[in-house]
Amino acid sequence: MTTRKTLGLATAASILALSGAWANEINIAREMDANNYDPHKTTALAAAEILFMLGDTLVSIEPDMQTLSPALATSWEVSADGLTYTFKLRDDVKFCDGRPMTAEDVVYSFNRWLDPATASPVKWRAGEVESITAPDATTVVYKLKAPFSELLYQLTQSFATVIDRNQVEALGQDFGIQGMNGTGPYCWESWNPRDRLTMTKHAGYAWGPAFYENKGEAQIDRLVWQVVPEENTRTIALMTDQTQITQYIPYIALEQMKVAPNLNVVQSDSAFWTYFIGFKIDHPSVADPAVRRAINMAIDQDALARDQFFGGVQGARSYISFETKDWDPSVEAELPKYDPAAANALLDEAGWVAGPDGIRVKDGVRLAPIGYFFTGSTWQKLSEYTQAELRKIGVDLQVEIFDATVAWGKMATQEFDAFGMSYPYVSAGDALNLYFPSTNIPTPNRMNWKDPETDQWLSEGKAALDDATRAGAYSKVLHKVHDANVWLPLIHEPRTIVSSKRLAPIVPHSNYGAALYKGLDLKLVE
Amino acid sequence: MSVTDTIAPAADEAPARRHWLAALMRDPAAALAITVFLLIALAAILAPWLAPHDPAESTRNMMLPPAWAERGSAEFPLGTDGQGRDILSRLLHGTRLTLLIGLVAVVLGGGIGSLLGLLAAFYSRLDPWIMRTADVMLSFPAILLGLALVAVMGAGVTPVILALAVATIPDSARIARSVAVGVMKQEFVEAGRALGLPDRMLFTRYLLRNCISSIMIFMSLRFGQVILLGSALSFLGLGARPPASELGMMASQGRDFMLFAPHIAIIPSLAIFVIVLTANVAGDALRDVLDPRMRS
Amino acid sequence: MISALVNRLLLSIPVLIGVVIFGFLLIKMAPGDPAQIMAGPTATPEVVAQIRQQMGLDQPLIVQLGRYAERLMQGDLGRSLISNRPVLSELAAAVGPTVELMIASLIWAVPLGIAMGTIAAVRRGSWLDRGIMAVSVAGVSLPIFFIALVLMQFLGVTLQILPFMGRGGPLWTIEGLRHLVIPALSLGLIFVGPVARMTRSSVLEVLRLDHVRTARAKGLTERRVILRHALRNALIPVVTLIGLQAGYLLGGAVVTETIFSYPGIGRLAVGAILSSDFPLAQGTILVLALGFIIINMIVDMLYAVLDPRAQKS
Repeated sequence: MTTRKTLGLATAASILALSGAWANEINIAREMDANNYDPHKTTALAAAEILFMLGDTLVSIEPDMQTLSPALATSWEVSADGLTYTFKLRDDVKFCDGRPMTAEDVVYSFNRWLDPATASPVKWRAGEVESITAPDATTVVYKLKAPFSELLYQLTQSFATVIDRNQVEALGQDFGIQGMNGTGPYCWESWNPRDRLTMTKHAGYAWGPAFYENKGEAQIDRLVWQVVPEENTRTIALMTDQTQITQYIPYIALEQMKVAPNLNVVQSDSAFWTYFIGFKIDHPSVADPAVRRAINMAIDQDALARDQFFGGVQGARSYISFETKDWDPSVEAELPKYDPAAANALLDEAGWVAGPDGIRVKDGVRLAPIGYFFTGSTWQKLSEYTQAELRKIGVDLQVEIFDATVAWGKMATQEFDAFGMSYPYVSAGDALNLYFPSTNIPTPNRMNWKDPETDQWLSEGKAALDDATRAGAYSKVLHKVHDANVWLPLIHEPRTIVSSKRLAPIVPHSNYGAALYKGLDLKLVE
Repeated sequence: MSVTDTIAPAADEAPARRHWLAALMRDPAAALAITVFLLIALAAILAPWLAPHDPAESTRNMMLPPAWAERGSAEFPLGTDGQGRDILSRLLHGTRLTLLIGLVAVVLGGGIGSLLGLLAAFYSRLDPWIMRTADVMLSFPAILLGLALVAVMGAGVTPVILALAVATIPDSARIARSVAVGVMKQEFVEAGRALGLPDRMLFTRYLLRNCISSIMIFMSLRFGQVILLGSALSFLGLGARPPASELGMMASQGRDFMLFAPHIAIIPSLAIFVIVLTANVAGDALRDVLDPRMRS
Repeated sequence: MISALVNRLLLSIPVLIGVVIFGFLLIKMAPGDPAQIMAGPTATPEVVAQIRQQMGLDQPLIVQLGRYAERLMQGDLGRSLISNRPVLSELAAAVGPTVELMIASLIWAVPLGIAMGTIAAVRRGSWLDRGIMAVSVAGVSLPIFFIALVLMQFLGVTLQILPFMGRGGPLWTIEGLRHLVIPALSLGLIFVGPVARMTRSSVLEVLRLDHVRTARAKGLTERRVILRHALRNALIPVVTLIGLQAGYLLGGAVVTETIFSYPGIGRLAVGAILSSDFPLAQGTILVLALGFIIINMIVDMLYAVLDPRAQKS
């Protein structure tokens, strides 16, 4: 095996050398493409990955997902009432086309984000804005109508990327499709949708986030982002050096990749991306809190993580990972524990009686909730595993699978009882304010969670002027929603990067799941 | 083939029947293929009784290799898949569903198509309409039909069967028509018409009974192709949905494990291969024996 | 030959009209509201209504069909709901790779099949014949995804001599060619069997014909008889087979393109239909049907070249 492999690798190396495409270029494999690369018109992770490299934000976040780091803004000040943010910008920043970037560009970008004509799906992330102005070329004043304690964290997201007005106006509808001129470490070369996007080094780049070791230009001349939806193909492409780096690893392959002589595997310490199944709490089959609690007790998330994902993920019992900013450790003790016998007893006690087919019934309601899920191997594993485990407590989960584009529309309706979803977050507030305000019914609050107390605490948290108040308010929400078992959390997914040994090992970043983040540490070793 | 009993123009088929069965079994390849195919079909029918495990049940033994390999277990003769389900049980149930999909699709599509083809031959007024429609339908390859039907109905067994059936219609209409046109030229049809026999009688008594064996041969030849197409559709994720077992779907789920547990994808793929191969060999032999004219 | 072409063109018109109507209706029946998809998951009802009006989705079906046909005539296929790119440019980018893949598959598979079939026919009844026929029937019975996975494993992983991920570039570049080998081997392999079987039976048929017997009687060598007289005539049904099997080829291409992440029209069609990208799905259906018609036109032309009698009639 080993001799053959070495022989094979030698052959591969010679053939690859023959092909001659290997100057200072690397191929990055990923699972899917984005719909477009206009920061205001897409929420896809696949878009964020690219936008972080093509453009920059005022503020950046360190890999710990807690510490803010200067980026385009060298410093910022927040007024005592939490309403005015004043950013001081660098004066040496240039767009890829060579034009210097000024505060006007920042103001234009933010205003376009907020403009109703843009119809941005992520407008809420900018807060309730009063005005955004540029008193001089290196100062931006961001005025809010109400305090928004999340703002700086939201401004680290790809939606807050500074864009080029001239290009937006020139390309019109094709902005983010035919090009996206940013200030980032790499520049747009070409995009063939569903196939590949290529980018080249931004010469003269020197304004990367402060936490990167590399303070200068990117160290790779050309990046090719290739879409490879097949897990098996991605795996062996990596092992045979057809691609050099990816964060879309089939978990089954992780162990083998860790021992492969030509690969590095680096996993982030903590996860900021969670998969869960949410319940419509006013639908008969999942309205009973006892049912939802029993469901939460029927799943052994650690076994799920170990067996289905081969230890590449963490079993999740909470809705956000324990390392998340503003997570309250006191919630942990109250979380339901895996105990199918107790789950069965709980259901018996609540009056749910098993019918002839083993499925429980009460007052004519069958415990057969309809669940809507996305296509793809991860949800296939999660939904099938949950389906099989729930059957053991007499719950017959109906799995219906939809492609991502249809699923969003389907999941905005009331026609299902449960839904599978996964999401990235930077903080407890980010997660809770997305899913639990009653104003977000029917989507993204698909659970129909309508609770005045929650709404009250969420606005307290948003308006908080200090850390303790904010954390306190969110803690109350965390206690309440976990106690109601509104979700069935499944796994927390850390970012894992597998890369060729020809590249220096890279510590994955977790910002919106874009593990390579700015790509400034991508480097070939000789 | 039980229709050809006692009707005037086909009266001499009774002795021929014994003859073809004997001829079929004299060809060792055909005999073997038919035997294997029948055994598979039997195993599929008996799947619920033969399967050692619940095909949908996940055990904690993920990706076990077959029993004869290192680390294999006698409890799971063909090993387990990526979710710890018994492959043998899934294979039996999967074969059942796969065969059922093929059978329903061929009978449905072949039946409708043949009827249309016969009508086209019988009523020349209808001929251009039916055959033009068949041409248009031919411009929609089965895989595309499957995709479109899935878009409308959502993934599942029904759209796959429908797509395969619809895709079978134009070909079977063409075959049935070409056979029927030949039959229509024969004297007894002319004679029947001259005698003033009603159309319905002419159609069923003479036309249908004289074309049926060719139609059946076409269907048996088509069966293997339909199974292949159906499994390709399932492979693309358009067919049966979990927790059901279907061979194409099993192969598709197994491909993620190709590198580390290739048996998960290879076993169902081989099963499809054997089913299609035996069906093809048997179909070929049947045609050679029964209807040498169809050899092209 | 020209009249045959004109004939085929005329015949194509109702087929094309049918295809346009069928594609239009099929997609109309699909679930999911295109206006909603375009507006995105968080859009307000007003925005959705506005988009619906802009797209003409509030008009009666027949009006929508008329407008769709009108736009088609002008070469406007709309914009993809997902990427917002013009459908025409999406299609244009995908057609080339698929044509390359198909050509690269047929270019080795058809000659190989013909050679196998001819040898089998000439050596009829021999072990060689039986062997070739056994291989052919086995080839016809293999699921394409299995072939693709095995080839990928063997050539790409065990031997590591060829890439199998996506498209390397245009056909005339070395990278483009190397990336094409495994997909083209997979797709071509499903064609060898049918072509070999068809060639064998039609060569056998032709060998019985009068002019071949005459040629033999004139004392021409067996090789000459077969190459000059028999094969030429025997190719006619083979060419027909290729036309008839175009759909089969296409189905194979969809699976092959999916497994190898190859950016062709088959993968585009699957993606568009699965994601309810209506304009793009309509576009791919149209292109695929058009491709089918074009292949059959080429088949008709080959027919005329191969069979001089067809020209006269």
